[in-house]
Amino acid sequence: MAGTILENLSGRKLSVLVTLLLLSQVACFLLGGLLAPLPAGHQVILAMVCKDTPGRQNDTTFWLHLRGDGKCASVSQEDIERHDTKMANEIVYIFQMPLPRGEELDYSRWQQNLIGVLQVDIAYNSDVSLIDPPKDLQLTVDTRLAYRNKGDRQNDWKLYAHALEKRYLDCSLKTASQEESLFSCDMVPLFELGDLHHDFYLLNLRFPIDTDMKMNLNLGHMHDLTLTVIHQNGGFTKVWLSLKTVLFPFVVAIMIWFWRRVHILQRSPALLEYMLIYLGAALTFLNFPLEFLSLFIEMPYMLLLSDIRQGVFYAMLLSFWLVFAGEHMLIQESPYKSTIRSRYWKHLSAVVVGCLSLFMFDICERGVQMRNPFYSIWTTPIGARVAMSFIILAGISGVIYFLFLCYMVWKVFKNIGVKRTSLPSMSNARRLHYEGLIYRFKFLMLATLLCAGLTVAGFIMGQVAEGQWKWDEDMEIQLTSAFLTGVYGMWNIYIFALLILYAPSHKQWPSNSSDETTQSNENIVAAAASEEIEFSHLPSDSNPSEISSLTSFTRKVAFD
Amino acid sequence: MDLSTMLYVYLLVMCTYATTESKPKPGRGRGSMWWGIAKVGEPNNISPLSSGIMYMDPAIHSTLRRKQRRLVRDNPGVLSALVKGANLAISECQHQFRNRRWNCSTRNFLRGKNLFGKIVDRGCRETGFIYAITSAAVTHSIARACSEGSIESCTCDYSHQSRSPQTSHQAGSVAGVRDWEWGGCSDNIGFGFKFSRDFVDTGERGRNLREKMNLHNNEAGRNHVQSEMRQECKCHGMSGSCTVKTCWMRLSNFRVIGDNLKDRFDGASRVMMTNSLRQNRNSLQSSSANTNTIGISGPAISPNAASPNAFSADRMLNDHTPDHILKTYSSKPPSNTINSSNSLPRSLVRNRVRQRKKNNRYNFQLKPQNPEHKAPGPKDIVYLEQSPSFCEKNLRLGIQGTHGRQCNDTSIGVDGCDLMCCGRGYRTQVIDVIERCACTFHWCCEVKCKTCRMKKTIHTCL
Repeated sequence: MAGTILENLSGRKLSVLVTLLLLSQVACFLLGGLLAPLPAGHQVILAMVCKDTPGRQNDTTFWLHLRGDGKCASVSQEDIERHDTKMANEIVYIFQMPLPRGEELDYSRWQQNLIGVLQVDIAYNSDVSLIDPPKDLQLTVDTRLAYRNKGDRQNDWKLYAHALEKRYLDCSLKTASQEESLFSCDMVPLFELGDLHHDFYLLNLRFPIDTDMKMNLNLGHMHDLTLTVIHQNGGFTKVWLSLKTVLFPFVVAIMIWFWRRVHILQRSPALLEYMLIYLGAALTFLNFPLEFLSLFIEMPYMLLLSDIRQGVFYAMLLSFWLVFAGEHMLIQESPYKSTIRSRYWKHLSAVVVGCLSLFMFDICERGVQMRNPFYSIWTTPIGARVAMSFIILAGISGVIYFLFLCYMVWKVFKNIGVKRTSLPSMSNARRLHYEGLIYRFKFLMLATLLCAGLTVAGFIMGQVAEGQWKWDEDMEIQLTSAFLTGVYGMWNIYIFALLILYAPSHKQWPSNSSDETTQSNENIVAAAASEEIEFSHLPSDSNPSEISSLTSFTRKVAFD
Repeated sequence: MDLSTMLYVYLLVMCTYATTESKPKPGRGRGSMWWGIAKVGEPNNISPLSSGIMYMDPAIHSTLRRKQRRLVRDNPGVLSALVKGANLAISECQHQFRNRRWNCSTRNFLRGKNLFGKIVDRGCRETGFIYAITSAAVTHSIARACSEGSIESCTCDYSHQSRSPQTSHQAGSVAGVRDWEWGGCSDNIGFGFKFSRDFVDTGERGRNLREKMNLHNNEAGRNHVQSEMRQECKCHGMSGSCTVKTCWMRLSNFRVIGDNLKDRFDGASRVMMTNSLRQNRNSLQSSSANTNTIGISGPAISPNAASPNAFSADRMLNDHTPDHILKTYSSKPPSNTINSSNSLPRSLVRNRVRQRKKNNRYNFQLKPQNPEHKAPGPKDIVYLEQSPSFCEKNLRLGIQGTHGRQCNDTSIGVDGCDLMCCGRGYRTQVIDVIERCACTFHWCCEVKCKTCRMKKTIHTCL
């Protein structure tokens, strides 16, 4: 292998390619900014309270709903407060989703997923016992989720999930008077649905109070119960999926082209080429518009799956960077062809540990949610500790990885500096070879830094745009969506460019005529190629990969 | 240029409309008639949710102004929210003033603006508080009703999504569903605010100082609701990370808003009756002669109030009309100079500019009576005259007096028997109270309680 396309491409061609890629990058950004709505929408729903029907509290086919035929008569907050036991064990809190707006709205499968968080306002009678603002207040809630579809009768609710859940409330005092003190509690996660297969959902919450089981005894009494349901916006899904669908064939095509090119060579692919094709495969896995299936099939594992897909991609990308830096070290200890197992297992262990711990966390959170959508690992102290340790572990491995990568890049640059000084004394072919290597490395460094920087900047911008909570009608660009599609498109383009530019150049079999005085790129490469062949006849070189030839070269230099 | 002149002509026409319409109904408290809906449906106990029946109720017809009736008709479900809101205001007012001589009683009064008694005819602190808390309660309960799903016309703010290709040419109900699928609904707390402005401020044109006071206090109530909203965010990106974050506004409990308003009541600022009342009248008269000078306040509401057909639910939420009007007018200095002094601090000028942007009618700055005091801010309660003592029954002012009120013999505050009873002395009684106590609960689903008999000492003013 004489080198990659990157070195052999003329400046004009390269600039055309880069311009095209930049244009498509801008297109990705604008697609999100101009066409897509906010990534997620939400509705804030206030609980309506109805009296429970005696004897049917444990019947999961029994549902209380608020709109349409057979709706229950709601009880007002004043009635509850007037009641001497605040209607304990007699009432059901009901949320019917989605709220109507002008007409009956229904969830669309394009809206992909539904996340519900609960906010509780509680009151304590001041005369009873207000020791302290309640800490670690445990809330036991009997939650039942039902669904209904458009054709169904309006009271034909079917059970989706049922659980008796515990949540810890963290409340702060809002106002206190002689009669009662009002506390407002931080939100607690209530449910997460990995897919939004049905049209309407109904949530019935009961707060069982039981003296023997010590359930909800020191809860005071509920004032307001607010559920916020967050769903992905259908428009965003459409834009996102079309972006994926368009990118998918391009990446697949370029992968096939790349692999064919590698196989034309009379050698087995080098490690970097393997890494590149793996990276392409991970990206293809991420790009594959699997979400279309969720429009037809109920796929509660969608959230987990998309996490896994993203995780695989990031793991691959991180590993690629490490291997790339390692392969450009310009100093090789072993004359054998490097493989992941022989050289990089230590380096990559940080990536593996980090990704595995994130995967474990995801399995514990979203994996269990497939069975019980009300489950959350964060709700119990032990679970939260476990989750936290997974995340801390991932964070530590991330830091280790980053430091290690920086170290390797620094080392590469140092070697480059060393090589630079000895470049003039080298033979023409070797010099060109090294220059090619250095150029390749610097190009990737530049592209990677640019992409990473843009990602971070986009992330911060997205956060800032979110932070400014104003209804800005004049805002032309939906920054959050633009950031998401822009970053997604950017990494696609990045890998696309890598696959093109780091594919082996076919200009290694030119004629032997080498005109050293010609300064055109092509000719230099041809010259380099011809000397490369010469190189490969060196006795120590058993293998025609560029790296090993380098190795032999470095040895030779050292010997000299 | 053409557009602005057309608007100008339009405004002139509208202003004359507005003035001719308002002429036959002079008098104070026109804007507060709607309070009476608190008592709607009370005697015959019609279910408050069946708005159809309630709409037929003649009491509503007499209580609400024409524009308010139209608002109620165009927003089904809003009436029950208004009734709830009015009652919320009453109960909160009574809670906040339970320990004071004036206890916000609505017992013996008639409907309409006299719900709280004739005290509202005086521009005193209590009146300011009533206006602020009723307007706040309407804002709050409308916003709540939107979250309960009982008002279907709560706007879905599609402004961000309007660029989507599907929605641009859709009309009517189909667009709603499509919009929802495309971009979801954003927060619509703003609906409560705008509705409250349209509904509560109908009668207040800001022509005289009293109407300005009412407007200011109404606005203060709404500002308290708005500033007590808290932003909450939830991260739901990859593995729950914050790459994707959704934020929304959380409405706080009305008790908190009541507390804040009560604080403002205690620190309310008295504003000037500038120069004299007669001058006010003069300016009022000149307003009908030259609609331009004072008519600035007119356009904000008059298009809706004057032409019955022009109104629609969308229109109500559309602030654009006043905005455009504002732009055409903004080159001129505001000419209703009842209180616009030239030496206002810069912050107030900025404030005024901001308010002018929002709405023309609210574009005024009241001046404190004591020039050393700070000018009232957007959240302050203002009043015009000293409160009466509230000690003795005063039928002319509709004051109950503190006879028979409960008091606290150990307190030295206003709820203490000395102050509460105005030195008349008090009677002490011991009564038996029967309560349920020591309850045990079992799921599912029984509650067993003991009956406790307690002795309670009650002091009542003579």
